[in-house]
Order: sequence, then C-alpha cells, then structure tokens
Amino acid sequence: MNPATELLLSALILLGAVFTLIGSIGLARLRDFYTRLHGPTKASTLGVGSLLIASALYFSLTEPGISLHEVLVTLFLFITAPVSAHLLAKAALHLKLHSLARRPEQNNED
Amino acid sequence: MSLLTLVLLPFLAAPVAAWGSRFGRLHAAWIAGAFTALALALLAPLLPPVFGGETLVHSWAWIPSLGVTLAFRLDGLSMMFALLILVIGLLIILYARYYLNPRDCMGRFYAYLMLFMGSMLGVVLSENLIQMVVFWELTSLSSFLLISYWQHRAEGRQGARMALAITGGGGLALFGGVILLGHIVGSYQLSDVLAAGDIIRAHPLYLPTLLLILLGVFTKSAQFPFHFWLPHAMAAPTPVSAYLHSATMVKAGVFLLARLYPALSGSTEWFMLVSGAGLATLLLGAYTALFKHDLKGLLAYSTLSHLGLITLLFGLSTPLAAVAGVFHIINHATFKASLFMAAGIIDHEAGTRDMRRLNGLWKYMPHTALLAMVAAAAMAGVPLLNGFLSKEMFFAETVHVAQLTAVGWLLPALATLAGVFSVAYSLRFIHDVFFNGEPVDLPKTPHEPPRWMKVPVEVLVALCLMVGMLPAFTVAPLLAVAATGALQATPPQYSLALWHGFTPELGMSAVALTLGILVYIGRKPLFALHERTVGRLDARAVYNALQGALLHANSALIARIETGSLQRMALLTVLVAVAAGTVGFLGSNAPLTGTRAGLPLDAVSLLAALALIAAALGTAALHRQRLVALVLIGVVGLVVSLAFVKFSAPDLALTQLSVEVVTLVLLLLALHYLPQHSPPESSNARRLRDMALALAAGGGAAALTWAVLTRPYEHIAGYFLENSVPGGGGHNVVNVILVDFRGFDTLGEITVLGLAGLGIYALLKGLRLPLRRADERGVDWSSDAHPPIMATLSRLLLPLALLVSVYIFLRGHNMPGGGFIAGLITAVALILQYLANGIDWTRGRVPANAHPLIGSGLLIATLTGLGSWVFGYPFLTSTHGHLHWPLIGEFELASAMAFDLGVYLVVVGATLLILIHLGKLSRTALPHSAEGSRD
Repeated sequence: MNPATELLLSALILLGAVFTLIGSIGLARLRDFYTRLHGPTKASTLGVGSLLIASALYFSLTEPGISLHEVLVTLFLFITAPVSAHLLAKAALHLKLHSLARRPEQNNED
Repeated sequence: MSLLTLVLLPFLAAPVAAWGSRFGRLHAAWIAGAFTALALALLAPLLPPVFGGETLVHSWAWIPSLGVTLAFRLDGLSMMFALLILVIGLLIILYARYYLNPRDCMGRFYAYLMLFMGSMLGVVLSENLIQMVVFWELTSLSSFLLISYWQHRAEGRQGARMALAITGGGGLALFGGVILLGHIVGSYQLSDVLAAGDIIRAHPLYLPTLLLILLGVFTKSAQFPFHFWLPHAMAAPTPVSAYLHSATMVKAGVFLLARLYPALSGSTEWFMLVSGAGLATLLLGAYTALFKHDLKGLLAYSTLSHLGLITLLFGLSTPLAAVAGVFHIINHATFKASLFMAAGIIDHEAGTRDMRRLNGLWKYMPHTALLAMVAAAAMAGVPLLNGFLSKEMFFAETVHVAQLTAVGWLLPALATLAGVFSVAYSLRFIHDVFFNGEPVDLPKTPHEPPRWMKVPVEVLVALCLMVGMLPAFTVAPLLAVAATGALQATPPQYSLALWHGFTPELGMSAVALTLGILVYIGRKPLFALHERTVGRLDARAVYNALQGALLHANSALIARIETGSLQRMALLTVLVAVAAGTVGFLGSNAPLTGTRAGLPLDAVSLLAALALIAAALGTAALHRQRLVALVLIGVVGLVVSLAFVKFSAPDLALTQLSVEVVTLVLLLLALHYLPQHSPPESSNARRLRDMALALAAGGGAAALTWAVLTRPYEHIAGYFLENSVPGGGGHNVVNVILVDFRGFDTLGEITVLGLAGLGIYALLKGLRLPLRRADERGVDWSSDAHPPIMATLSRLLLPLALLVSVYIFLRGHNMPGGGFIAGLITAVALILQYLANGIDWTRGRVPANAHPLIGSGLLIATLTGLGSWVFGYPFLTSTHGHLHWPLIGEFELASAMAFDLGVYLVVVGATLLILIHLGKLSRTALPHSAEGSRD
C-alpha cells in the first residue's frame, strides 16, 4: 500500500472518530432533548460513514475483489437510523418535553 | 414374526375401525370382526405344535442393556387364554353391533375394544415380564376407556376412575414385584423365571416379591379387599362387562397366578395369602350376589366369587387344584359371558335391570330365557353342565387339602357354604326374571332380540352343554395342554368323567343344591336381615374416605411447601445450591488456584469486563426503574456476546445477539402490563439477608469458575475438532455437534422448546389484561400506534432480514450460523412486522398460526432421524456429500441440514407463538381507531 493511500485512510478514520466524539459530546452537553437528538445522528452518519469508507477502501485494496460488506452496513444504517430518530422525536413531542424552540402547532392527528 | 403380528393386529385394527366408522355406522364392527378373525386365522397354524407340547418363543432385542427384550411365548396356558380372548372377542363384536344404540359412537367403541384385545393378547403372550407389565397397564387403561364409554353418565366416569386407580396402582406394585423377581433370577424371561422356582422361594426377597406381585393380581382380579371396583365397573356397556369384567381382563390376575405358579407357589406365605384372599372373595361375592337387585350387580358379585374360587384353587398349591383352577377359568368365561350377554338382551329389550320389576319374562322371550337358564344352571353347578365338573374338582381339592391341614373340616364347609349361595343366586336369577308373576311397570314391552344378537349366547351355551356332557371329547385336550403350561410339568392323573361314584364332593354338591334351593325359598326374611345389617356396609365409602384423606393431606402439604411466593422459592433454591457447593468445597483440600498460567490481559478486555460489572451492578441497584434496568441488562448481554467473539465463538456470539433481541422484546411486552416503577417492598433486614445470599452464591460460582479455568483441562473438544469434517461433513464444529454428534440432545431440546411455547400459549390463551388508558404520569397513549416511517421501513427490512437468515442457515454447517440462529433472526424479522405494522396488518399477510410450524419442525427433525433407520443405521446417523451448484459453487450437503431445518422451524414457531400471544393480551381492550383511520 502506498503512503498516499495510507494517509487517506488514516485521515478518514480520524475524521470518523472526531465526528463520533463530537456526537457524543453533543449528546451529553446540549440543553434540550431535541437538540441532543442531533448528536448521535451526526455520529451515525458522518462518523460511521467515514469509518465505513475507510474500511471499504482498505479491504478492496488489500484483498482480491471489492469489499461490499460496508455497503450493506450503510444500507441497514439508512433504514434503521431515521426510524429510531423519528420515534424518539415523536415520543418527546407526545410527552411534551421541555424545548428550547417553540413547539410546533398541534396537528389533528395527535 | 407371527406372534408379534398377532398381538399387533388388534392395535392396528383400532385406528382402522375408528376411521372406518366415518363411512357407515356398522363399518367399525365389520372391521373389528375381520381383524379378529384374521388374528384367529394367524393363530390356527400355531395350535398343532402347541398341542404337541411345544413352547414357541419369538424374541427380538429391545433394550438389551436393561435385559428388556421383545419376546412372545405361546405355550398351553397362553394358547388357552389367547383362544378365549379371540373367540369370545369375536362373539362380543357381533353382540355389541346389535347392543349399541344408534346414538352411540360405534367407531370409538370398537377402537377401544380392539385396544383392549391387543393389550390382553400382549399380557398372555408375553415372554418378557417387563413387557407383560406394559401390556398389563394397557389393559387397565383400555378398561378405563371402555367403562367410561358413556361419558355423559356420572357413574360410568366414577366407576372408570375407581377401576383405574385400583388396577393402575396394582400394576405399579406388580412392576415392582417383577423387577424384584428379575433381580432374584437375573433375567426377565419367563422361561428362566419359571425354571428358577427353588431359588426364588429360598431368596430373602421372596416375601416382598410375592406381596407386590399378589397386589397386582388381587387388584386386577378384584380379590378382597380390592374387590369393590368390579361392581362399579358395571356402569360400562354390557358387552364390555361380558368381555372385560367377566371373561378376560379380570382373569389377567388369575392368569398371572397360573403363569407364575411354578415360580412362586408352594410356600406357606403363598398358601395363606392366595387361598385366604380367594376364600374371602368367594364367600363375600357369593353372599352379596344373592342380595343384589340389579341384574348386572348380581352377575358382578357372582364373578367376584368365581374369581375367588379360582384364586383359592391356585392358593391350595396342589397340582390338581391348579388343573381345576385352569378348568374353571374356561368354564367361568363361557357361562358368565353368556349370562352377561343375556342380561344385556333383557336390559335392552325390557329397559331395566331391576329384578324387582323384571318378572315373568318367559312369556315374552322364551328363547333368551332358555339360554339364560342353562347358563345360570352352569353357574350354579348343576350336573350335565360345565360348571358342575370344575366345581366338583374344587370340592374334591378342598377335601383333599383338609386332610393335610389342622383346620380340617373348615375349608370344605366354607366351600359348601359358598356353593349354597351360588345355587341360591343362580336360582334367583332364573326365577325372579323369567317367572315369579307379571312384570312390574316396565319401560318397554319386552320381546325377543334380533336373531343374530342371540347367536353369541347360543354358541357359548352350546359350549357349556358340550363340555358338561362330553368333557373328554371337547375340552380335555385343551385343558391338558393348558394345565401343562401352567404347571410347567405333566399334570397328575385326573378324570373328567361325570360320574366318579359316591364321593365326598358329590355329597357337597348335593348339599349345596338342596340348601341353595331352601335358602332361595326362605329369602324374604334373609333379605330383610341383610338390609338391616351387612347391606349398609359399603367398601366404596371406605375407598372414598381414604381417597379424600389422601387428597386433603396432599393439598395441605402443597400449601405448606408452595406458598406462591417467588422470592421464597428462589431463596430456597439458591440456598440449597450454596449449601451443596459449600459442602463440595469444604470436602476437598485441593488449592483453589490451579497450575495453569494465566493469559495476558489487554486493556480492551479489562474495559469490557468493567463495563459488564458496572452494568450488572447497575441492574441490581436500579431494578425498581424497570426500563433502565432493562437497558443495563442489554449492556450485559452485549458484553457477553463480545466476549464470545473474542474467545473465538462466533456462533455463540450470533446466538447471544439474537437471543438478546428476542428477550428484550419479550421483557418489554411483559413490562407493558406492569407498573413502570416498583415500590420498595422488602425490609432492610431482608434486603441484607438477600444480599448476603447473593454474594455467597455469586462468589461461589466465581470461585468455581476460577478453579476450573486455572487448571489444565483435558476435554472432548479435541475429538469433536478432529471428527467434525470426516464424521459430520461440516467445518463448523458447533453446528456439527448440535445437529450430528449430539443430535439426540438437540431433538430433546427443540421438543422442550416447542412444549414451552405451547405451554405459554395455553397459559395466555384465556387471559385478557386491561390496557391502561394512560401512563403513570397521566399522559394518554399516542393514538398513532404505528408511525408510517417505521411501518414502511420495517417492511423494506423484512426481505433483507429473511435473506440474511437463509444465508446464515445455509452456511451453518461450515461457517458460523445454523438453524437455531437463523430461526431467531426470522422470528425477530417477523416480530418486527407485528410491532411496526400491528397484529391485524401482519396477520393478513403472514400465516399467524405458529402451531403447524412447531409441529412440522419436530416432525422433520424426527423423520430425518428415523430416515437413517431405512438405510440400516442407528437413529439420527448423519450422511453428507458434495454437491456442485451452478453459480454458487461447491456445496457440502449433509442430511443434518434437514434436521437443522426442523430446529429452525421449531425456533421460529415457538418464538412467534410466545411473543405474539403476549402482545395480543390486551388486544380486545385496545381501540382500533388508529388502525382503522389509516386504512
């Protein structure tokens, strides 16, 4: 593996780690439930995304064939992450949790 | 082969008869009759060698290590019984076809009857004693089914229960006796046991063996003090009474007396016990029979007395008495079966069995009356009939034995007394029913039964006459060979002639006849006396009181042990485990730490272990906040599965992960019905106690693990690793162990899993829990039960998840995976649909019934196991081969895969069954507005 690729991979991994860290700090530090919800979503998209790209590149370059596992992981993440985020937000709205912003108008369905 | 076929034929006939009755009311009778005739035809070619003195033994190894073989034996005694069972059975089948009401289910009756016939044949033809006990119990069970055939009648159900309790209990005692007998002799084969009589009688365990076996005999043949079940068994349909409770089943007890006669008889204990019980039953039965107003009641007590007579004969322990016993078995079967059938005809045509109302039937049914009178005369022991011959032999033997013992005259005197009563009740049967004025208030106008209903009675009565008049030309060869079989030696010289000259027994017969007639004439004051005194005693009351006391004591005991407190149960269980462990630890002085060097410790493992400890502690500390505790348990599970990954057990890790998911869903569903927070309920002292106990138990387990892990350990893993590919055709050792090496264990486990699923289903089935309208903070549940984002995306997920589970399943034999994990994944994927889309939506698309899944899974697994029998290998032998699939490539296919498929189906079925029904608990209480508004 040439130094340029190594550099690229290291950068991607570091980037992923940083986003995950930022996400975690956000989850711990932000002031209300709705803003806290942003933390883990960053971690699971940008953070895990960078790590997955790094992994895909690494295994595709070092082993014969293209590594597609990461694509599957991405697919499952794309399916599950919005669902959990949506359900959490819905539950928070339903329970009328403290919010920094003004709550949205009640729709008819609730 | 043919003896086995003979025994199996009726068992085969039972389902066929039950099935055949769907197509016509009488089909069952025809089928039963055809099978019985076929069995007789099979028996016929075996008769000449047995008459020639041969003993046929056919045997197959069954459980050789336990000394159990499947072995059948045909000698004189068993041949005589087999003939009785089949011939009388055939007559009963014909009779019952007319007896049963159009409303009665013919198929069920004949199926039960055939079950009984097979069991009874099994009893008399068994060479192996354990096998005989199995058939013995089967006769009790089929008798239970037949007595309670009219399930709507309370007395039928009660009588059946009592008969089962008594004969079943006796069967258990007999089982114990047979095991002791096998222990003494060293073999359960009848041939060995019969040849070892001297060893048995000299053995210190002789008395307990004898007592246990006699318990079995006395309960089965209704000997005093176990006699009372037989009259209550008369609630059965009359063909059953005729067949089981006079001709065959109750004879199983005396059959066993005859069978084991060479092995057990001859001792003082045998003489006292057997003849004592026989004499008591003989007198009690003969006396009580006279006072019964019910026709069948009279016959039942008369049966008791005749069984007592036979028992007494075997108890006397002289070879001639045994011959007389065997002879009386034949005679009693013929005349008593015909009497029962006649009683059934009278009941059938007149509508009652009460002898106070049945009078003067001679005018209405002379043909039946004649038959019944001849049979009753045989019962009384009137000359020219078969009953006379065996009764004469009986009297002669009592006189013979009286000369040997001190009690002297007592035995013949009591025998004559029984004879007097027997004449009196026979006379009552004839005179009260067929003469004695006009019938009183009968429900029906009596008339002759259909022609063919009388044929069985005619056949039996003809036999009574022929044997009675020409014994030497009819019964003599059969009796000779049967007596030889019973004695296992040539019987002494005896004569079956009618006239022996003026002998004491002739005198006794004359006295019995004369006095019997006198007793009948003077019956009125006797009846009144009986009503005032003995008639008030009822053995059933004693039985019921005993049963009630037993049940009461047990309930009290259970109430003391099982208080309904889960905490207390857990406390006791853990306490016992800790105590047992402590004893084990203290008992050895080996060091706690073994010699094996520890593995290096890395930071990640340490961190994971710390997280595990923290999560476990947190679960315990925060258990009152149930949701938080649940999350912490999830952490424990995840760390454990990571540990599996680290120690190269990817299979276990996968399983652990899927189990975690399923458990979480299960607990969430259960928590749904519980309060979110539980208040502190235990006192501090109690919590301290529990904590101490928990520490002791956890510390003990940790110490044990430490001790095991620090020792070099030679285990069988090496064997499995070496043999996995050559022996099981798979590289995934865990899977090969599950489906091949230990396939039998797995079969048991999935059976348990399926049963657990069905059990939970049964528990939840009728349960309806109210769903609270709001949570504990007073906030209503969201009306949007199935948010569209989750619903839509979960539908997308289903095919993907199923694909994964198929992948995991297929690769399971060689790589991490297998049926169990794949089953869990499928179940999780389906449960997700239920959670996200609601029960109604999913039910419309996925077959909701999980029972067939469990059933077919078990069936596939079992059939795979049985499949190896076809190729001549032991159960569950696996085979494997290579297969080349286009596109996918080289593929290892093992028969274990089919087994794995069974595992898969059972896991899916059981998991779905439990979770869906738990989720449905409050479904009726749930308003379906959300569901309805969106559709």
